[in-house]
Amino acid sequence: MPAEAQEMTAETVDFEKMWHDPYPLFKHLRANNPVAWVPQANHFMVTRFDDIVHVERNQDIFRSLEPRSLVHKVMGHSFMRKDGDAQLAERKIVFPSFSPAAAKKIWAEKFRLIATDLLDQIEGKGKADLFVDYATPMAARCLCEVTGLTNVDWRDIARWSQAMMDAVQNYAGDAEIARLGREASDGIDAAIDEMIGARRADEDKSLLAMMAAGGMPLDSVRANLKVIIGGGQNEPRDANAGLIWALLSNPDQLAAVRADDALWMRGFEEYVRWISPIGMYPRTVDKPAELGGVMLQPDDRLFLLVGSANRDEAKFEQADIFDLHREKKQHLAFGSGPHFCAGAWVARMQVANIAVPMLFARLKGLTLDEDDPVRCGGWAFRGVLNLPVRWDH
Amino acid sequence: MPKIAFITRSGETRAVDVALGTSVMQTTVDNDVPGMVGECAGSAMCATCHCLADAQAFPALPPIDENEDAMLDATASERTAQSRLGCQLIVTEDLEGLIVQLPDRQI
Repeated sequence: MPAEAQEMTAETVDFEKMWHDPYPLFKHLRANNPVAWVPQANHFMVTRFDDIVHVERNQDIFRSLEPRSLVHKVMGHSFMRKDGDAQLAERKIVFPSFSPAAAKKIWAEKFRLIATDLLDQIEGKGKADLFVDYATPMAARCLCEVTGLTNVDWRDIARWSQAMMDAVQNYAGDAEIARLGREASDGIDAAIDEMIGARRADEDKSLLAMMAAGGMPLDSVRANLKVIIGGGQNEPRDANAGLIWALLSNPDQLAAVRADDALWMRGFEEYVRWISPIGMYPRTVDKPAELGGVMLQPDDRLFLLVGSANRDEAKFEQADIFDLHREKKQHLAFGSGPHFCAGAWVARMQVANIAVPMLFARLKGLTLDEDDPVRCGGWAFRGVLNLPVRWDH
Repeated sequence: MPKIAFITRSGETRAVDVALGTSVMQTTVDNDVPGMVGECAGSAMCATCHCLADAQAFPALPPIDENEDAMLDATASERTAQSRLGCQLIVTEDLEGLIVQLPDRQI
């Protein structure tokens, strides 16, 4: 521990302002108070890239297990909140559904059919809100395939995901938000019960099939699928809509991408760095430790603000700008360490290889609808809230 | 402690004494050998600890399992017959003198 370890200083945070645009606050915290105690949230906000990587590399000091958390209450005890061998064992079971090979050999073809169907439905209209009419059904229908919950209507998946995400951020304890979260959780349990007997690993590589074949206990199946639905719906949806918006807002970069297929993936990685769909995830201190000059004690709770780390000026030049030509570098949009996003390869396939390139290939003369500006919101989860566009038809 | 030599992207050779049971990926991180990222800290999920190691010269290298094989198809630098993930190479006495080459890119 360095001798200069500072007293922890409190920050008052305007959460409303942060929801609209968190980046000025993140910049302030990185410069002045990188491990800031925020009394209203009862958490430390960790905003620098290197500090977050340090936390993620030291699982014995900073744990994921946190029975007090809303995620635990809403979704159950999933592998996202387990540590060490307990997490690894469950992660191994689902790997065959999530591997780069599965993305390419199993899911790509199904995802292409979904994108084609969605584009068939909107192509003749000449205008749409792509957040509602494309990114949302794309993510939900892909998720039905990957989870194996093909008995569920995609609208239910999208609704349940949102209800659970709202419930895990329900710090104010709103009764209706909590009720909708329970309803989503019950709906998913019922859908699992109906399908789990029907899924066989020798016939498909869906998550339910892998979980059944791997002998995962039912409680874990339920909790893990809820986390996967939460992360597998809103995040690819937001990356999909966000990348389309970023490219339409930067015509020179769009022209570059159209001329070089390899740049779709660069654009995807740059978008999730620039506006990370998951801007925050929490950890809990397990042993006394120093972080960024601040002494932390067991059971102190941390918000790891990857949305800030991905704009850390110590790591990225002109970090506030979307620039897919920037030097390729590690970002933290998928996290880092043992909890690195399990769905990263499937999300890359869905968004960067399929949904976005197919959309630009099909809809000619695509432009943002200037009468209806795009809005962004959120800090723990952040993305566009609408994406009104027009095209020639 | 077995000694492992790393050939970095710039062609420099760095010999490092490695504690038994440590992974090749962790060794580069602990000793500031440039050229690996190790985003997922050894869970075989990110394919950013790609390296080249000669299995014919070192039969003691553990075989490539199904997971590692799948991840090696997603490396940033092209996969070769010698490609491995550094996180899956756990150092034993038999790996004394192993030569690990680091590829051009991890991301």
